[in-house]
Amino acid sequence: MAVSDRITRWRYRYVPDHLLGEILTKRWVDNAIPLLILLAVALVFGSLIPDFFGPASISSLMRQWGEFALIVLALMIVMVAGGIDLSVGSTFALGNIVALALLNVAEWPVAAVIVGTLACGAAVGLVNGLLVGYLRLRAFLTTLVTLIIVRAVVDMLLLKYSVAIAAAFVDSDFWYYLGEGYVLGLPFSVVVAAIVAIVAHLVLTRSRAGWHVLATGGSRRSAHNVGISVRRVICATYVVSGTLSALAGLLFASRLGGAGADTGVGLEIAALTAAVLGGNSLGGGRGSAAKAIMGSIIVMIMVNGLVRLGITRGGSSLLLGIILLAAVAIDVRWLKNRHKLLSKVYVSPTYAELPPAPATEGESPYALNDRLRPVEAIGLNRIDGPEDVILDEDDNIYAGNRTGDIVRFHAPDYSRQEVFAHVGGRPLGMAFARDGSLLCCIGGMGLYRITRDRKIEKLTDETNRSWFSVIDDSRLRLADDLDIAPDGRVFFSEATIRYEMHEWPVDCLESRGNGRIICFNPSTGVTRTVLKNLLFPNGICMTLDGQSFLFAETWACRVSRYWFDGPKQRQVETVIADLPGYPDNINRASDGSYWLALVGMRTPALDLALKMPGFRKRMARRIAPDEWMYPNINTGCVLRFDETGRIIETLWDLGGENHPMITSMREHKGYLYIGGILNNRVGRLKLAGVDAGWTGQRSYWGRA
Amino acid sequence: MIVEFSRAFDNLFGRGEAAVTVPPLDGAFRPNRALDEAAARFPLAGVDSLAMVSSEVLASSGRAIHRFDQGRWHKRSEYDAEILCLAAIGKECLAIALATGEIVIEGGCFGGRRYKPAQPLACMTAMAGTDSELYIANGSAKNGPADWQRDLLERNASGSVWRLDLESGTFTRLADGLAWPAGLAPDAEGPVFSEAWKHQLVRIDQRGFKVLYADLPAYPGRIAPATDGYWLALFAPRSQLVEFVLRESAYRRRMMAEVPQAFWVAPKLRSGRSFCESLQGGGVKHLGLLKPWAPTMSAGLCVKLDRAFQPRASLHSRADGRTHGVTSVAEHDGQVFIAACGDGVVVSLPVTPLGGAEA
Repeated sequence: MAVSDRITRWRYRYVPDHLLGEILTKRWVDNAIPLLILLAVALVFGSLIPDFFGPASISSLMRQWGEFALIVLALMIVMVAGGIDLSVGSTFALGNIVALALLNVAEWPVAAVIVGTLACGAAVGLVNGLLVGYLRLRAFLTTLVTLIIVRAVVDMLLLKYSVAIAAAFVDSDFWYYLGEGYVLGLPFSVVVAAIVAIVAHLVLTRSRAGWHVLATGGSRRSAHNVGISVRRVICATYVVSGTLSALAGLLFASRLGGAGADTGVGLEIAALTAAVLGGNSLGGGRGSAAKAIMGSIIVMIMVNGLVRLGITRGGSSLLLGIILLAAVAIDVRWLKNRHKLLSKVYVSPTYAELPPAPATEGESPYALNDRLRPVEAIGLNRIDGPEDVILDEDDNIYAGNRTGDIVRFHAPDYSRQEVFAHVGGRPLGMAFARDGSLLCCIGGMGLYRITRDRKIEKLTDETNRSWFSVIDDSRLRLADDLDIAPDGRVFFSEATIRYEMHEWPVDCLESRGNGRIICFNPSTGVTRTVLKNLLFPNGICMTLDGQSFLFAETWACRVSRYWFDGPKQRQVETVIADLPGYPDNINRASDGSYWLALVGMRTPALDLALKMPGFRKRMARRIAPDEWMYPNINTGCVLRFDETGRIIETLWDLGGENHPMITSMREHKGYLYIGGILNNRVGRLKLAGVDAGWTGQRSYWGRA
Repeated sequence: MIVEFSRAFDNLFGRGEAAVTVPPLDGAFRPNRALDEAAARFPLAGVDSLAMVSSEVLASSGRAIHRFDQGRWHKRSEYDAEILCLAAIGKECLAIALATGEIVIEGGCFGGRRYKPAQPLACMTAMAGTDSELYIANGSAKNGPADWQRDLLERNASGSVWRLDLESGTFTRLADGLAWPAGLAPDAEGPVFSEAWKHQLVRIDQRGFKVLYADLPAYPGRIAPATDGYWLALFAPRSQLVEFVLRESAYRRRMMAEVPQAFWVAPKLRSGRSFCESLQGGGVKHLGLLKPWAPTMSAGLCVKLDRAFQPRASLHSRADGRTHGVTSVAEHDGQVFIAACGDGVVVSLPVTPLGGAEA
């Protein structure tokens, strides 16, 4: 191996390129940018201002933050539903003055004051909600108007009651506790904000009401079409927003006990900046309580930091405005380009070197021949893509097709066909269980059983999740082929966990070990992954010793053997290391050897490209998938091998004229039945010199 | 500095020079199956160059020249070296370029004369004659005609165009540093040549070079006169994958060193015969069928040019066709003969009044 090859190999073995793409598929990656900004802001101000994060400073900062966070949460809820609420600042001021007036002038008890204040805020929200939700006025203009009106009301109330408020004295510990008390060492307002945030998070992510809000924000029309009462949802978000703003005003009233004309002025801009900076989309549908919290902390630190640095009020407003603009710009660009970035970085080929390909001419056991010429076609042009074929004890043929059916061809002449079962997904590998039911791997769905009376039952569609996998690998994406151990355990392969079924060529381009073999135990119902990091594991076939199975790794051009029982338990041994093509299904032959289908042949140009991951990565980015270099799956063959890995014979159809594309084959009573995933027929070939009574059923379960 | 920076930037994002776009087959290049549907198909293994002499269609194949008569090819003469190309001089005279670098004249007033330049031309790809002169295109100074794929992958531009004065036997170099000139047409305003690796048609006039048509969707080869313009043979299609490989120097170098030439990712006169050739995504057979639009390394394409060398109509054999690798065209008596070297066949179609050929 050349030095450069070795360097490339090490580089791709130890740098996990694929993780970047996987992280970008996660929804939580939206939080990454605000989190970085938060850390940067904390670092900058923490180092600029001595003792910025000292206990005294942090305590007062936190108490203010609790009130501010409530307002940002209020705004977030409205924004997630696709609206905007500019009146939060005024409502905050209204809450403040109402609470003080009720307490000091009307002399209500504190509990009643709280209820009254919240009701007042809810009323403002209801006005907004009715106007925006039901009358469908523009949210921006409507709440701007409410902002002015509520501000005017506050000013009128101030004129009337400010003297009385200032003169009165409140004799209630509970009232002061709201503004100055601690819960477990945390200011009361922080605890309130935290509780509201947690409730908001749970509601948005876990409840029907929250999903309705997100759906409405994501696409109002679609939400309406699926039957969500869009108007009511929108109205409700404004009511919540008004209530939370009033709650913040109440806490403010308790903390300072006074009312001024500038209470809550400009608060809506700060709250909007915080919400957008946290990553809540202005367009709606994308937002969370965590984002609101992060945004509010960032803005809080900045505003206070600037004040402490001696920057005048105008200066800090200017800065806030600039940050809001930048945040909006980032929000728009990120939303627009995230999927582009993802599509560019998700495919991450790695170094994959195949052993030299054996010759396919001369004395080679793989030498070309015409032995598949006499194959007769069953169901020609009446079946679309039988990946696997299997025969029952009455000689009927079962084959899956592209439209999600398992089709049965009736013996003896196979001219009559019927849909045996409609499974919905793409039926791939099949096997008969001891009780005669048909087990089937269904691409995109998982492992299923079709009983003799055509009942379709799910056996499993998930396995244990890996500890260190970024993408969720518990769901089965591409269950491929299966076989059943004598004790009933089902071992099946999942070709790749990173791609969907129709994206198999991308997995080849990547040639990373993305596949695995999974065991389903019907007696306990438990599904467990037994082998990981395989290169597109495909065919599986139980050996005759009942303790191991053979499996083919398509992109590795390799057949291996795994012992699940016995003295060699959990060991893997390579049986054939260097196939000239890409192996697919494996099945038993009548003389104790095994049939193997090669779905395609290796090409020197692609073999070279496999050693050059950068080349493949650029190819995936630069040119259309239809133009990509593919494994050559237009020509395939069937071969027979024994447990030592010796190739006994190879059956070719030169030129692929008679039977193009082979993915599976099944021996049954002296004939070989051939399937192909992109083929339009099932092939049948008479075998010479084999046991004409041999069937797979008998080989597995000892009956006819 | 700026250039290097922008080149690196382009390379990173696949823009500018690094973009691998191929012009779509549209307008005059709209695909059809005319070459495959032609009823008159006359097999001749290894057919390469066609010429019209004394109202006869002649074709070169290996070392032999064949004559077309009554629907069949008859061997006319044979040489002791590979024939690289043929050209008619006037009406009766045939020029033959041999792999030895010699040009032999048969018939007419220069009959029997042999010309050999002082500096050997080992890669004569095309010739075109007037009454007293012969224009010669030398594809490359580094590779022979059989190594045209290597010349493309090496991104060479070492070809040249010459003029031979038949009377005096003097060779004059008209142009140098060309990327595989592969076709010639004498014209009143100056000779026009096709530059294959740059996919363009260029005229040599007093002021220098003038590009007449740029960015052809395939590699242009020989040019033949028609009644109202010219025929252009395009011997292989361009493809995104090849354009991409041309920009991947490391892969190209290793491929040329490690992979047998027949299985290179490179345009071919005939592809898809061996399973060792790499396959492209759209070339996967579905339900036993290769799609006609499948990306392919070989195809059949012949274009009718007007007198200003602008494409007017085209005849195609697509990915699933059987008339690939068009190396030469000749028009005679209302019929156009098209030599498909890749499939070893000459097809003949009637020329339609529209300027194209009847589909």
